Formats: sequence, structure tokens, C-alpha cells
Amino acid sequence: MHATYSPEERLFQDQVRSFLRNNFNAELAARIREPETFKAATIEWQKKRFAKGWVAPGWPVEYGGCAWTDTQKYIFDGALAEAEAPDVPPFGLKMVGPVIYTFGNEEQKARFLPGILNGDTWWCQGYSEPGAGSDLVALQTRAERDGDDYIINGTKIWTTYAQHADWIFALVRTDTTAKPQQGISFLLIDMRSSGVSVAPITSIDGEHHLNEVRFDNVRVPVANRIGEENKGWTYAKALLTHERTALSGIAYCKQVLNTVRRLAADENDDGQALLASPTLQARMADIEMELMALEYTELRVLAAVAKGGAPGMESSLLKLKGTELQQAVQSLQFDVAGLYGSVLPSTGLAMGHDYGDRARREYMFGRACTIYGGSNEVQKNIIAKFGLGL
Amino acid sequence: MDFSLNAEQQLLKDSVDKYMSERYDSEQRRSYLAAPKGFSAAVWQDFGNLGWLTVPLPESEGGFGGSVVDTAVLMEAMGRSVAVEPYLATVLLAGQLIANGDNATLKERYLPDILSGNCQAAFAYQERRSRHQLDAIDCQLERNGDGYSLNGHKTLVLNGAIADVLIVTAWLDESIALFAVPANSAGVHCDAFRLMDGQGVANVRFDAVQLPRENLVCAGAGSMALIRRVLDEATIAVSAQAVGAMEYLLKATVDYSNTRKQFGQPIGKFQALQHRMVDMYTATEQCRSLLVRALCSNSIEQGDVQTQAQAEMDIAALKAMVGKHGRAVAEEAVQIHGGMGVTEELNIGDYLKRLMVIDSLFGDQDWQRRRFATLRYQ
Repeated sequence: MHATYSPEERLFQDQVRSFLRNNFNAELAARIREPETFKAATIEWQKKRFAKGWVAPGWPVEYGGCAWTDTQKYIFDGALAEAEAPDVPPFGLKMVGPVIYTFGNEEQKARFLPGILNGDTWWCQGYSEPGAGSDLVALQTRAERDGDDYIINGTKIWTTYAQHADWIFALVRTDTTAKPQQGISFLLIDMRSSGVSVAPITSIDGEHHLNEVRFDNVRVPVANRIGEENKGWTYAKALLTHERTALSGIAYCKQVLNTVRRLAADENDDGQALLASPTLQARMADIEMELMALEYTELRVLAAVAKGGAPGMESSLLKLKGTELQQAVQSLQFDVAGLYGSVLPSTGLAMGHDYGDRARREYMFGRACTIYGGSNEVQKNIIAKFGLGL
Repeated sequence: MDFSLNAEQQLLKDSVDKYMSERYDSEQRRSYLAAPKGFSAAVWQDFGNLGWLTVPLPESEGGFGGSVVDTAVLMEAMGRSVAVEPYLATVLLAGQLIANGDNATLKERYLPDILSGNCQAAFAYQERRSRHQLDAIDCQLERNGDGYSLNGHKTLVLNGAIADVLIVTAWLDESIALFAVPANSAGVHCDAFRLMDGQGVANVRFDAVQLPRENLVCAGAGSMALIRRVLDEATIAVSAQAVGAMEYLLKATVDYSNTRKQFGQPIGKFQALQHRMVDMYTATEQCRSLLVRALCSNSIEQGDVQTQAQAEMDIAALKAMVGKHGRAVAEEAVQIHGGMGVTEELNIGDYLKRLMVIDSLFGDQDWQRRRFATLRYQ
């Protein structure tokens, strides 16, 4: 039992750090954070990683992945956190990509994987519907066969970044007579298809991340279906466990904690640094200790997966605990920002420190993380039933 | 990075798991507790015969030379059964102090008997005013001819009442020294107590106890470092025990919920209870992760100051979280077992008591959290 790095792994860590020093900086970070520049800056960041061959750590090498060991992935994530560099959006690289290379045909792999890797294609996820949230299998969007096409009708909701997306991967109902799980297919849909419309939803951070996507007699070639008809639920479930593992957000939590420490060292608290406050320290320590634990929980899960076990309830555990911690650090960040955290942005004017706006937005949008990807209550149901045998 | 046990550790685990499952159900445990010494002499002899008493001690002293990982394997299994044998006091505290001290005569005198199960030992370091501060003590050594005279009181000495030898901290000149005090020395007075989890403790008074120079285990700056290292490893060991106890409680609670029926169905079908058991599960997994983390950082040579500080932070985090979550898991286990959970008919209360004792030992959750914060934020 050990957690030390081999000389090769140390060398790799140096290479990653040096890559980040040369390719990522505060200016790029700021452009990724701002809604107006978010998309272009994110693609720029992805292309830098793509050029280095470091964009898809988990993918098999034959499809453009890195073939990294778990330790290398851990080193890479750690270096991202140190550099306060965000990961790229998960919809292509962590979600639909693995489904395509696992369940798709050769033509689909050749057509879609390159754009996912190099950032040219922006993907979004069409799962939830107004009547199908936690109970995803109740989804109603219909796909009716018409020659070599499906005709799609229905509404998807909470679609993150649909306003930026070129493609959507969607779960649609292809059989209304079968049991709910057995009548679902997995389709790739071009967002520019006639009959697709996107309506923005403003979230409580005041921003536009979320959308409602409507399909009104949208024609989609049958060739865009992944795998077999009516087997989509199986493919989606495989993806969901990947997604939940991706949702643990450990690197993000570390970043926020680093920022909080820096800010708290500068803030005055009755004549001493806020960071010296015993109550703040106790609160930070509790969060940080849970995060240290979760880091090793994730490593243990990865090690088990590498030995052949599929992440089952462990991925639910990572999602559950990870999102709780994300909200905990966001709360802490908001509190350390003080009342400046509540100030709404005003064009061209700086108010107090430049930190409050970010603290407010991250706290507000962060309320969603215990809801999306299967609400935390649903994760608990999954662990209770499949993990504990209740 | 590798979190699996090596082949030797796996053999040790299989052997201790098998022994505990055959010889340590809750009825057997109660019969051991009822013995005059508060544990079974036969079980202790088995520990000796199976080689478990040698596990953490250095090979140079006749031990197995195991790391904190080997000790954790043993302690986790003992935690799963709430074992009452004084492994912690005799082997992990007193044994390790003698073995890692610099007195060859004492090593020869005590270690062979400790390793074979024929000597009980204890570490007497706490006094009424100490709480967790190691140097808040008044025990005093005075030079007396060629030897020393020891005066003072120690409290809460684990295994103190039946120990053949006590390793005692006391002031010698301006620093703290460690002395081996045979329990039958003139002037040693011992009042025995039991902790609620079955472990024996004692308050010990030293009244002008005459000690030859050769009983000095360690003196000067080295003694504090030795004490800290031994207590840190013992802290990891009791945390491993706690993780074993938490895993047992989770399993017992799930099993009970699947059999106990109310309102016409097993209570485990109720979502309110399911979610509470999931919380027990996540707490247990988080504690196991911190155990693995602390084992990794504390089983390697600590080259530089930074890795040493990291290793210490890992211990503080582990103990703080085991204290917090261990109690929470045990309280939930009692709650979900309902009325039966508060009776002595079931063994659930035994685990609650052990987990509460572990929280209080070697720095409770508040103290360990502050220790962590000091290391991390100052």
C-alpha cells in the first residue's frame, strides 16, 4: 500500500505543470468564466490540450485517448487544480464520446469522434423532459420511423449550453407499447435540423446556461441511432455511471479552497486575518478533510475499475459526496466574500474586490449540482437498493 | 500508487478474520470480559502463538517488522469484534516505546516476554491536568545516589491495573524522560477501573519509587519525538479499529432492517431509513479512504519536512473524521435498531461505546480538527 510516484510519474508531473504554465493563464481563465467569451475561450483551451494529445485521458488510445494510468489521471487533475484551470465541458469528451466508441458503428466513430476531440463540435445532452426528471424513464419524446428517418416530436429541458451546441445526444421513445425501459433509443441529432428550437432558461445566478429544446417534426436519419433500436436505456445507463464519476468535482473544490485561503488571508477580521479565525478554520478544516477523503475514495474506485469492476454504486457515492462538497465550498466562498458577494454586476464599475460576483454566481448555480445528473436523493435510492441490498 | 495489501498482509488479514469469526462472537466476547483480568488469557496466548504480538515490533528486536499497514489489518479486525485484549497498551504503546528506545538491557528484559504473551505492559503518560497536552505533567524524577526517585500521579493508564511494567513519563531536569517502572516496585499504588467499552484502566500513584539508572528508556529531546511517533501510530491503529467497527455496524443495521417488519413490511423498505443507512455507508467509506491515505503517507520513509507535515495532517484528518463519523454511525445504528438498540441484549451498544472511547483517546475530534487547522492554515 503506497501513494508514492515513480520517477516516470514525477517526470510526467513536471511535463504537465510545464504544459499548463505555457498554455494556461489567468487571462484565459477569466475569459472562460465570462459568459460572453465562454464558448470561444473554452474551445481555445480544448484545442491547446488536443494539440498536446491530452484531451481525452480516459479514452482508449486507438480513438485518440491518452492511455493514462489512474495515477497519471490523478496527477493531471491535481495539476489542473494547482493552475486553477477548469476542465473542458464533459458533454462530448466524458459523455457521448465513450458511448460512441463503445456502442457506435465504424461510420459513426469516424464521423463524430474527431470533432469531439478537437473541440470543433459542441455537444449537449437531451435527457430530461418537463415530465421526466428524476424519473427519467418516463420520457415522452417520440421518434416515429418514416423510411430511413425518424420523425422526432417532444421537448427536452435543462439542456446545458444548448445555445452553443452543434449536436445533441438524446433519448427518445421508439416503442410506446413495451415496458418503459425497453422502448427507448439513443439518437444523435444535428441542432441545425429543421424543427429544432432552443428557448433560454435564466437560472438564479442570473445567467443563461440552461435551455428548453423543442423538436417539432424533426427528421433524423436512422443512421444517427447508436446501437440497436429500443436499447438506448442500456447505453444511457453506462453513460450515467461515467457522468456521475465525472461529477465529483474534486479538482474544482480544491481550486475554490485555494482561492478562499488566498482571499481569507487578505480579509480583515477584527484586527487579524480572517484566515486566522478559529471558527473559519474549523469550518474549512471539516470541508478539506472530507475532500481529502473523497480524493482517496475516487482513487480507490478508479483502482477497482482498473481491475475490472464497473463503477456501480461507487459512482453514486462520488456524485453524492462530491456535490455536497461543491456546495460547501461555494457557501464558504460566498461567506468569505462578505456582502460584496451580493452585489450585482454593474457595467464598467468595480465594487469592493473583484471576487464577489464569482462567489455569488457559483453559489447560486451550484444549487443545481445536487439536482442534476440524478438528484442526490435518487443517488441514495440507488445505493440503498443496489449497494446495500435494502 | 497501489492501495492493495501485499501477499503477507493478505495472509495476516485472512488469518485474523478467520480467528475472530470463530472465536469472537458477542457471547464469547462477554465471557472474555467476565474473566478477572477483563479479557481471556487463552485468547491472548493465541495472539502470541499466532505471532500477532510481534507484528509492529522491529525485526532487530525479534519482531515481525510490520508497518502501520500490518497493524491496521489486525486492529481493523479487532474493531469489527470490539476485542477487549490489551493489544494497544502492551504492544503498540509500551512495547513500541521500549523497542524504539535506546536501552538494550530493557529490551532484553521485557520484549521476549511481551512478544510471547507472557508480559503485560502499559504507557502511563496522562495526568489529571494533561488532557491531550503531553508535557502538562507533574511527575518528577530526582537523582538519588546512582539511581532515581519517582513521585507523582498518572491517570487513565490503559491496562495499568494488570501491567507487569509501566512506561512512565516524568520530568528529569528540564526535559521529559521515559522510565520503565516494574509494577511490583515499592511505592507503586494502583486503583483499577473499567472503561465502558471493556478496557481496563488505572490511576497510578508513585510514592518515592526507587529506580536504577538502567530503567531509563529514553531521555532528552529524543523522548518527546519517540512518544509522538508512537502515539501517532497508535492513533492510526485505533482509527483502523473504528473503521472495522463502523463496517460491522453498517452491515448489522442493514441486515436488521431487512428482517424487522413493521406496517406489514421490512423497515428497510422505508426511504427515510434507507437514506440514513446510505449516510452511514458514505461516512464509513470516507473514513476508510482517510485510513488508506494515512497508511500510505505514514508507511514510507519521510524524507523531507513537507512529506512529514503531510503525513501528520493525514493522521489528524483521519482521527477527527473517525471521531465524528464513528459516533454518528453508531448513533444511527442504535436508532435504526429501535428499542432493541438501547438494550444490552444486542451488541450494538458495545460498538457505540468503543467508538466513543476511540473518539476520546489520543485527541478527540475537536482537538484533532484544531491540530489539522494549525498544520494547514498557520
